[in-house]
Amino acid sequence: MVETGHFALVLAFALSLVQMLVPLYGARAGNQKMMAVGGPVAVTGFALTALSFAALAIAYASSDFSVASVWENSHSLQPLIYKITGTWGNHEGSMLLWVLILTFFGALVAAFGSNLPATLKANVLAVQGAIGAAFFLFILATSNPFTRLNPAPIEGRDLNPVLQDLGLAIHPPLLYLGYVGFSICFSFSVAALIEGRIDASWARWVRPWTLVAWMFLTGGIAMGSYWAYYELGWGGFWFWDPVENASFMPWLAGTALLHSAIVMEKRSALKIWTLLLAILTFSLSLLGTFLVRSGVLTSVHAFATDPTRGVFILCILTLFIGGSLALFALRASRLTAGGLFHPISREGALVLNNLFLTTATATVLVGTLYPLALEAVTGGKISVGAPFFDLTFGPLMLPLLAIVPFGPLLAWKRGDVFAAAQRLMAAFAAALAAMLVTVLFVDGASVFAALGVGLAVWLVCGALTDLAVKSGFGSVTPAIMLRRFAGLPRSVFGTALAHLGLGLTLLGIVGTLSFGTEKILSMHAGETVELSGNTLRFEGLYPAQGPNYSEDRGRFVVIGADGNAKGEISSAKRFFPVRQTTTTESGIRTVWFSQLYLSLGDEGNDGSVVVRLWWKPLVTLIWGGALVMMAGAAMSLMDRRLRVGAPSRRKKLVPSASLS
Amino acid sequence: MLFWVIAAILTLGASLAVLLPLAGGPKGASAPGDHDLEVYRDQLAELDRDVARGLIQPADAEEARAEIGRRILRLGTTGQAGTAARRPSVTTRLVATVAVLAVPLISWGLYIKLGSPDLPSQPLAERLAKNPADSSVDELVARAEAHLAANPSDGRGWDVLAPIYLRLQRYSDAVAAYRNAIRLDGVSATRQSGLGEAIANAAGGIVSAEAQDAFEAALKLDPANAKASFYLAMGLAQEGRAAEATTAWQNMLGTLPPESPWRRAVEQALAENAKRTVASGTPANGPDAQAVEAAQSMSPQDRQAMIETMVAGLDEKLKQNPRDTEGWMRLIRSYVVLGKADQARDALSRGIAVFGADSEEAKKFTAFAASLGLTATE
Repeated sequence: MVETGHFALVLAFALSLVQMLVPLYGARAGNQKMMAVGGPVAVTGFALTALSFAALAIAYASSDFSVASVWENSHSLQPLIYKITGTWGNHEGSMLLWVLILTFFGALVAAFGSNLPATLKANVLAVQGAIGAAFFLFILATSNPFTRLNPAPIEGRDLNPVLQDLGLAIHPPLLYLGYVGFSICFSFSVAALIEGRIDASWARWVRPWTLVAWMFLTGGIAMGSYWAYYELGWGGFWFWDPVENASFMPWLAGTALLHSAIVMEKRSALKIWTLLLAILTFSLSLLGTFLVRSGVLTSVHAFATDPTRGVFILCILTLFIGGSLALFALRASRLTAGGLFHPISREGALVLNNLFLTTATATVLVGTLYPLALEAVTGGKISVGAPFFDLTFGPLMLPLLAIVPFGPLLAWKRGDVFAAAQRLMAAFAAALAAMLVTVLFVDGASVFAALGVGLAVWLVCGALTDLAVKSGFGSVTPAIMLRRFAGLPRSVFGTALAHLGLGLTLLGIVGTLSFGTEKILSMHAGETVELSGNTLRFEGLYPAQGPNYSEDRGRFVVIGADGNAKGEISSAKRFFPVRQTTTTESGIRTVWFSQLYLSLGDEGNDGSVVVRLWWKPLVTLIWGGALVMMAGAAMSLMDRRLRVGAPSRRKKLVPSASLS
Repeated sequence: MLFWVIAAILTLGASLAVLLPLAGGPKGASAPGDHDLEVYRDQLAELDRDVARGLIQPADAEEARAEIGRRILRLGTTGQAGTAARRPSVTTRLVATVAVLAVPLISWGLYIKLGSPDLPSQPLAERLAKNPADSSVDELVARAEAHLAANPSDGRGWDVLAPIYLRLQRYSDAVAAYRNAIRLDGVSATRQSGLGEAIANAAGGIVSAEAQDAFEAALKLDPANAKASFYLAMGLAQEGRAAEATTAWQNMLGTLPPESPWRRAVEQALAENAKRTVASGTPANGPDAQAVEAAQSMSPQDRQAMIETMVAGLDEKLKQNPRDTEGWMRLIRSYVVLGKADQARDALSRGIAVFGADSEEAKKFTAFAASLGLTATE
């Protein structure tokens, strides 16, 4: 089975070469048959990659230590779920997951691309094949997951204990779906540049892919943030760590792309800019891959520090980013520019959005790469953290967030700011009220906290206002309003939900950062501690034995106002003997949207334990908001205008043209 | 065999994915303009829906409709060039042939280079279930471990496993196993002295206070326990109390039965101890402290290379100065440890040849080699 997987991987590489060259040649020579090769090859390539991945997953699940990657990253005593998720909890396996998702998207284009012009489809699949070929080669040459050991060791070296968590099952697949999803936008852009023209169907096709990629990337980042929050035991949700930035940059650029693609789709404007954004977004995804895997950074994500891999990825990076940008420089002038618009209009607002988002991306890029460049040149180590980003990224985001509610209320082509402002009066009043309440009734609230709360409420109410206005609130009877509300296009709901989710996330961040409290103390069994109205009694440390670890679990009872126990929180320190590593399992109790978070520190000689306690108001909204954003993207995807039919003439010509 | 069949089927499928579209009948092409027309039509329909919902003023809608109409007209003027299927040229045929052939050639060529087609999958459960007679030591140990993981209170199991761990140089596992055996089945001189040996070896051969405690406990149970006495004396030597160590070892020689395997170890230790006393602390023929330190910071390959150089040096020295009993024994052991049984046998026969087959030394060499699991000739 293992060798079948290996063979399937090699075969998929061979197919990706065919997929790269034949349709491209066919599109240039105008040969229909050669262009048609792309579809079946892409689907077969995906099937083979899936077979290969399944073989590796089975090797992991059955603890086949004759596979070097399994031996290095698995252990026979691990629970089955972590044996399986361990498949991508290492460099080799995660690269295989990466290409699996890449070929999956390629197969989707092949399967659902019947309404695309044949040359565009052929070129898109060729570019997709080229990316695939580069990464297959990378895997086979430097990080083959199917390298065998003979004789096979009898026991593995265990998965990194920090990764032995359900988060590993969700975070990387979501994140890769996001990263790699942008490869489709990239392929479409490069294909358009190769052809030298952009069809009207181009924008309609790119937007759903952007939506899909953006949705998964949002989920992946949010899941990663929550995972770091509860697993690392520091109670922080974002560290401006280079690896986090690596995923955040494509998200910012992807958000800009999402918005500029709307303009392009509706008004045929901003074509060239959208193309460039699509290229940049995927380039940033590739950059993230390079940063994480080259060994440039040290973190839990840096699986391997093999310099040959770094050089190889750097070559791929140069080839694709440099190649696509060079192509852009050569061909962009040949593309026709689109429709005109007034500065104050929906288009204008979206351009403003793009300006802010791309500047923010650049800021994060500088903050991430500058320390690395400095270290490479002078050898000096500096760390660029929260203070830098608070001063640069923060001020860029504030005006952007402030104008978000205006965008959807402006008309296309030429809009009326005053009319929009009038409609937003209620939202503005709500935001002001929220600020006043914060300043007057919350102890220790700073002006910034009040502003933050006001901004969050402004976003949420602005999104609701958009829905209300579009349903005809105030001008028609409630019955008609309800009917119009139900009949609104899905994309309107999508916009409103995404903006509302943004407001919720902001509210969560402001709430946690401004009103959170913490305590670090040393506790004996039986002692109680009080934090922001929560009383906890420490019951003591209880040793326990897990499948592949031993732990000391500290149990705490939450005591209500009446003196009775309301529930229990427990936090543990786990020791994994194989890797000689200790991890902290934090204890979390969710009260509405807020959380009580505690983690155990070191044990004292007198039987006391250091306990860190945090009260994090509204913290769950940070990730809840991301889920709402994802729901918005999903809603937008269901909009009927994204389902453009194929030209009907073609159906008459060739009744049996359903190849893929 | 099955693998090659699967590989052939997969290759066939992949080749067909390339071949079939190329071999298929001619396809009618739609002009790219058709796709754009479809999009514009859809935009017009959407506009109508928005007007019906009241999202757009009728005047704005008229204007938008006019704009889309202008785009459709522009399409009519530029979108003439439909791509009719041309006759395939020679180059095209060539490209198609190469593409179809590339799939099997590249995949089989690469796989032969990268793959291990003869190596079957080895799921752990299957390996543990097979006949114990076919299993390697590692597998047997793993089987015992699995048994003990399921029945952690099986003292006898720990008792059996502990010395095996010690032999396999898994010292910290040996410590844990001895502790479990003592906890479950009570103390005995063998277990206590084994525990001490494991602790000492885990600490790189240093007889720590903890190890001393274990050895003393063993001696209390069995004053004649040779292992415990030997290591305690070693501990004295390590603390620099060479004279006391010598006394302890000499006492041992007096009480040990003549056939005891410890006799030789004690003699060796005494000899080394005597040399060390003369040379004030440095072992005479061993690698010096610096070399050992260097070896510890080396990569495994480098360390192996260093050890091999040292062994080769010893071999060379013995060729020039062959009447060195200790030297020959060290050489034989070195080769055994390095896993070079043939060279060990060669060294053994060379050593015997130097002293004569009937000499006292030759017998000593043969017995020594036998204790390492080596026979003179096969």
